[in-house]
Amino acid sequence: MKKYISLIKACFTSEMSLFIINNKNKNKKQSKAVPIFIYCLIMLCFFAYANMFIDPLKQSNLAFIVLSLFVFLTAILTLIEGIYKTGSLLFNCKDDDLLLSLPIKRSTVLFVRIFKFYIFELLYNTVFMLPVIVAYAIRVDVDWTFYLTSFFMILLLPVIPIVISCIIGVITSGLSSRFKYKNLVQIIITTIFFVGLMYVSLNLQDIIKRLTENASSLNEIITKIYYPAGAFVNLVTDFKVVDLLIFIGINVGLFALIVFLISKIYFKINSRTKSISVVYKKDYKVKTNSVMNALIKKEWKRFTNSPVFITNAGLGLVLYLIMCILVAVNFDMFSGLIASQGFKITEAEVVKYIPIVSVALIAGGSFLTSITSSMISLEGKSFNILKSLPVSTSKLILAKVLSAVLVMLPFIFIGNAILFIKYDFTILQMLLVLAVSVILPLISELIGIIMNLKYPKMDAESDAEVVKQSTSATISVFVGMGLLGLTLYGLFKFLKMYGTDMTLLIITGIYAVILGLLLLYMKNKSVEEFNSINV
Amino acid sequence: MIEIKNVSKSYGGKTKALNNINFTVNDGEVFGFIGHNGAGKTTLIKSIVGIHDFDEGEILINGKSIKTDTLECKKEMAYVPDNPELYENMKAIDYIDFICDMYEVSEEVREKNIKKYAKMFEIEDKLNSPISSFSHGMKQKVALISALAHDPKVLIMDEPFVGLDPKAVFDVKEVMQEMLKEGKIVFFSTHILDVAEKLCSRVAIIKKGELVKVGTMKEVKGDKSLEKVFLDLEA
Repeated sequence: MKKYISLIKACFTSEMSLFIINNKNKNKKQSKAVPIFIYCLIMLCFFAYANMFIDPLKQSNLAFIVLSLFVFLTAILTLIEGIYKTGSLLFNCKDDDLLLSLPIKRSTVLFVRIFKFYIFELLYNTVFMLPVIVAYAIRVDVDWTFYLTSFFMILLLPVIPIVISCIIGVITSGLSSRFKYKNLVQIIITTIFFVGLMYVSLNLQDIIKRLTENASSLNEIITKIYYPAGAFVNLVTDFKVVDLLIFIGINVGLFALIVFLISKIYFKINSRTKSISVVYKKDYKVKTNSVMNALIKKEWKRFTNSPVFITNAGLGLVLYLIMCILVAVNFDMFSGLIASQGFKITEAEVVKYIPIVSVALIAGGSFLTSITSSMISLEGKSFNILKSLPVSTSKLILAKVLSAVLVMLPFIFIGNAILFIKYDFTILQMLLVLAVSVILPLISELIGIIMNLKYPKMDAESDAEVVKQSTSATISVFVGMGLLGLTLYGLFKFLKMYGTDMTLLIITGIYAVILGLLLLYMKNKSVEEFNSINV
Repeated sequence: MIEIKNVSKSYGGKTKALNNINFTVNDGEVFGFIGHNGAGKTTLIKSIVGIHDFDEGEILINGKSIKTDTLECKKEMAYVPDNPELYENMKAIDYIDFICDMYEVSEEVREKNIKKYAKMFEIEDKLNSPISSFSHGMKQKVALISALAHDPKVLIMDEPFVGLDPKAVFDVKEVMQEMLKEGKIVFFSTHILDVAEKLCSRVAIIKKGELVKVGTMKEVKGDKSLEKVFLDLEA
């Protein structure tokens, strides 16, 4: 048992740095303030949302629906997160050679990997669920059984999404490991799973309808859709020790079963994912590039070599394109959305606002895509190569930002082209939308790189740890969401006051100023931070 | 010429990794830097090549300060790390090309040098392979080729012989001699004392961040073997 504890401790040492306050190091203590502040802000938001829902439901004694709703939503978020990172978290990790050479069972190595994944998701889920539980406890009269049930609910909430993610991760990695172009196949299979999940989500109404045909109560409906949510509500409304034990047993049993089953094929798949053959070919060709081109190419090679990196970045951009197509094709849905915002307008007037919608979509696509937030961390130990090069630090940082923006621009320009062709934009509107199309991705990627330089994670065991679980990636996503919210708010406010063209001008102006400030910050503070990273 | 003047560095304000280091490496010298594990060799090497900052003192590369003229200094140097953590996702030839691009090496020069050193290290037929498929020794060879491809005036290597096969060790020694003839500087750290004894015109021995001996091979070891001197100092 002692060696298993040592193993878990060793694997978690670098992960837990955020939660250890080191009084001796003032700078590190300061650097933790931002993530802690952001997590607190998110928790406050969720507390407010929960209160908003509880109040009206409480009058009809249905406040518990809030609990099942949030459990369900958190589980869906965890599943979406897990689908494209599990393969990278379980297989081909940097510490494989060390762990697999130790006198421990292969299933123990797998357990440690899944357990690490579980702990991260537990913390992630707690940020969403804890405020809801606190809000419920304050607004509704609860006894000790509620706290006991909630404690176990928070502990067990990540289990089922993790189990499903692990199954998908094993299928994805197992299949792709048989091919020469493993990464490409992994991206395709992950995308298929993801599209499948999106399809199920979009058709959830039909599925719920079918499920509820024979259901006699709301709680029964929830139980049929997602067992833990239903079980939680059952325990909160009618606590029985036996039910709690069954609930714990099912989750723990599932976790143990998945570790047991995957361990049977884990080593085989893991070995196959590592197999890369040496190419014997006498002919090689040297190619000369400018410094900036070579740096951008290097970043692109890193990007295209990491399935989790591509799928993570691609999600926001693909959603952006889908939204552009929907706005172009499904005009009724779109005009309904505009009307729901309190604009009493005719169809002809709605078309006038398309440039604003276009900017809102670009903001969504840009701010929900942060490629640079993991680019420094992904350098890992090879970071010293960059530091030894005769190239200025600001150029090295800028190359990372530009390479990320170049990934985003084709998507954004295609989206623009769709809307430009479908609707009538004036020359000024086109120019302003194009300006925003360049400025917003630059802002988003500058924020990403600034965050990654503030919170680098140079010792990650896998790409997924950096891309999906690092402080910089998490903060960048939430900062992006905040900026998106502010942009949408600003767009609607300015639109009501000044009309389309003026709103475009104001928004472009504001973001140009923000971009200037970020560039200035990057050239000074971020350069310092880059130089101070020691690997 | 490399001039290291009163260089000190500490980690976390407490542990002195380097304490008032002073020595000079002249043009046309193969200089060996010797010390046990954790003595401060890599810290000093990383400070010379501009990867790490240092708290006090000055390091000059051909008269230019690594602190203020960083890029100019880096252009004159090539660095081979102790553990070649290269870009695993790249093919070997792409990595060497990338480094050459950074040093703005012309196509003719890089073609000539890559051909020469790839043939010397016998990896010509593997340059199209991804670095992730390479062994430690092969990665070290790629790191060496990319360092030599831009004709550096100063070659700095941290434990260059670790992981290399005997033929490659011999070839690295040949490269060192060649650079010596061209009046260039080769500065390297090593644990292999007989290699240092045979190759170096001068050596420095570092212990717990302090320079304990520096000079020509004769000045440092006298009539004893370098191994004996080193072990006596460590005792």
